[in-house]
Amino acid sequence: MAGLATTFGSGAMTNAINEIEEAQVILASGSNTTEAHPQVARRMLDAVDRGAKLIVIDPRRTKLAECATLHLALRPGTDIALLNGMMRVILDENLHDDLFIEMRTENFLALRDMLFRLDLGEVEAITGVALEKMAAAARLYARAQRAVICYCLGITQHICGTDNVQSIANLAMLTGHVEKENTGVDPLRGQNNVQGACDMGALPNVFPSYQAVSEPEYRTKFETAWGVSLPEKPGLTLLDMTHGTSLRGMFIMGENPLLSDPHLDKVAATLGSLEFLAVSDLFLTETAKLAHVVFPAAAFAEKSGTFTNSERRVQLARQVIAPLGGARPDSAIVMDLAARLGMPMEYDSPAEVMEEIALLAPIYGGIFHDRLETGWGLQWPCWGREHPGTPYLHKYYFTRGKGHFVPARHVPASEPPDEEFPLVLNTGRVYHQYHTGTMTRQCPTLNREAERALLQVNPADAQRLNIRNGETVRLVSRRGAIELAVLLTEEVASGSVYTSFHFPEAPINRLTTAAADPKARCPEYKVCAVRVERVSP
Amino acid sequence: MTMNHILKKDHLLPLLRRLAKEYRLVAPIRNPHGDTHYAEVEQVDALDLDLDHQPQESLKPFFFPQQETIATYTALSPEAYTIAPHSAFTPATLYFGVRSCDLAAILYMDVVFSQGVREVHYLARRHNSLLVGLNCNAPFPNCFCDATKNGPFREMGADLQLTDLGDRFLVEAGRAQGAAILARWPQFFGAAGEEESRKQYQLYLEARGGFQRQVHVDSAIRRLAEGKVDEAVWQQLSLRCQDCAGCAYVCPTCTCFTIMDRPQSATAGERLRSWDACTFAGFTRMAGGHNPVVQRSAAIKNRFLHKLKYDVEKHGRPSCVGCGRCLGICFGGTDMARFVELASGE
Repeated sequence: MAGLATTFGSGAMTNAINEIEEAQVILASGSNTTEAHPQVARRMLDAVDRGAKLIVIDPRRTKLAECATLHLALRPGTDIALLNGMMRVILDENLHDDLFIEMRTENFLALRDMLFRLDLGEVEAITGVALEKMAAAARLYARAQRAVICYCLGITQHICGTDNVQSIANLAMLTGHVEKENTGVDPLRGQNNVQGACDMGALPNVFPSYQAVSEPEYRTKFETAWGVSLPEKPGLTLLDMTHGTSLRGMFIMGENPLLSDPHLDKVAATLGSLEFLAVSDLFLTETAKLAHVVFPAAAFAEKSGTFTNSERRVQLARQVIAPLGGARPDSAIVMDLAARLGMPMEYDSPAEVMEEIALLAPIYGGIFHDRLETGWGLQWPCWGREHPGTPYLHKYYFTRGKGHFVPARHVPASEPPDEEFPLVLNTGRVYHQYHTGTMTRQCPTLNREAERALLQVNPADAQRLNIRNGETVRLVSRRGAIELAVLLTEEVASGSVYTSFHFPEAPINRLTTAAADPKARCPEYKVCAVRVERVSP
Repeated sequence: MTMNHILKKDHLLPLLRRLAKEYRLVAPIRNPHGDTHYAEVEQVDALDLDLDHQPQESLKPFFFPQQETIATYTALSPEAYTIAPHSAFTPATLYFGVRSCDLAAILYMDVVFSQGVREVHYLARRHNSLLVGLNCNAPFPNCFCDATKNGPFREMGADLQLTDLGDRFLVEAGRAQGAAILARWPQFFGAAGEEESRKQYQLYLEARGGFQRQVHVDSAIRRLAEGKVDEAVWQQLSLRCQDCAGCAYVCPTCTCFTIMDRPQSATAGERLRSWDACTFAGFTRMAGGHNPVVQRSAAIKNRFLHKLKYDVEKHGRPSCVGCGRCLGICFGGTDMARFVELASGE
């Protein structure tokens, strides 16, 4: 969010998902797309079938990497170095887009100067990617007429997440691969409505439609609409809430920080010290078990409203069954709670809420439920009732005016491996489970496919550690230890291990570090130092 | 086949109203969101019959539900228990507007569920059913039933088979139950002449030429029989397969199931049967953790071999009926058409 907002002026996919199919080159970075975004992966693979070249940047040999023309298996946490290396090759071989840089961007000289000081040999040493391979990827990407970059949490979940994103944006601007159809920079969102949550201002520093809390003009607008006075200081980030000591009470909706946040012992301490905790969720999660009050929330089929997906598409979902077991839609829970707190919200329907959104959030200005009844939803920005929505962003000019190059330098991971903790732990998802398993762990078929956490270990490391496939081991970091079973696979490189965060039986975030990106405050889930111990000799 | 009849479209609704007094009626219905499904007709007057779109699912769930109770059990003591088969009453049901592919699939399931172990729940529903087929004048975008040789027109299998001639249906009685309907309510049906038959044949020719896809199922079958499908094909498919089992769930002829016991109290519970899919790792994995189907590619291979090789050897025809539903649901691009394309080498 923070990275793209600074460089482009808007933190969302610049393309529609279908446009990926028409790209000539697809660069996927830090995205296990076939497992985490299968619908996007389908478009990528279809593009490959039509002759598109696929470049995958990932420390792991994922399924997508196996389909790739080029797989750059970089060392975890060395994305900036690799992207800078690619950009240097592009400059050296004169493959950059002079005219685009001149017309649509600013601050190019700062990037150029930084790149000219770069030592490509050093890049090779840092990233572990052969120079020829890196250069081949740079040429493929730069020469394409239509090229997209898709990235995901492998880019953002680092202490330099914002710089990583900005480097991706630099690469796209350097080659003029933005502001066009089938060409752009596409962060893939991890949930069906996380884009919508951000759009609605579920962020510490902005009101809906990314209107900054610090701007008096916006504050006045919302104060007038809601009849309250609003604080001028941005709120706390999630990490500062769950790892802080300043809060006395929390209301958590549809989130399970006691499994999903890093350094869980600290989260447990924070939540345990609260004077009051209320949780609203579909099922009794680990977090909900700690709560003083739990609100059973309605699931997608039990309520009506909209979801905004990764490609900024607002779609209407309709209720099909009445809520079961006393569950209620989130809106009903919030409205009742607000009324008791002395702030009555009198909305008769989700459609009426949408009308207020259209009134106050300019990018949703023309989105009303009646327009969503037919067709396939609307993509924001949609400025008015007559506006057809926007499939791809930044046509004619970037949202912020000119695209701003922000040069970045390699930032070493917060916790490199050492003698005591010699392996790098990377965390992510597996196909059959979703996030903290709140929903998917309720499904017997999915549990049958992935019933427990598995630690992916390279066979060479396993031999050295004297551990067998399927054996239960203890995985230890500076913050804690868990026991889980081993899966030997070449998918992870020697020196790294990988597992998922879905399983409360083996909560991997007990081990992960709370070191975070200074701007976005996104924790470094993708790198921390661990060691593997045998449980039974 | 006896003499053919015609049913004027004006008299379709009155006929359905008449039939609804005798049978539970199931037909392709368009729901308020614009989707077409086979569904039970609650009120003939409010019926939004849709014979222009392919129903999203086949009739499989009506005969072989996604989940059903097949038995209940009660523990009498720690050493003894009783188990009672669960019999669900199914009213006599008339399925109207059944597409050729879905009809062929039912005939296939008849074989699967009646040979060897007789599947009493399926057979009870089947014996209490009447099928009114509808020939497809205009194949849908993903259809390839011409390649699997069970459509777009059918000559057998239904109790009554309809062909849309514009303002009327040509009605052919396929089985005794269908003839009985013609005999019982003759006022709805007129005699069909030479002209109607000629027109039907012309429509058949046009329908046969109307397929938008060329899926050379016969080549794939031949190459599978000759063992000429390269290992790389399975590898490529397994890379793409997203393991969602959507293909098996929408497939009108996929009949894999699993059985589980669900306790309802400390001493009693029910035994459930639910759909399963042979491509799931959990389908073949043993209790001890061993999975004889080691590779993902082997699981996928098994699915296609079953459809296009084993069933051909066993029954003389493939168990793919060319409905094209897996093409619509598969988001990895490993559907039947893709496999046939890769396997047939054409």
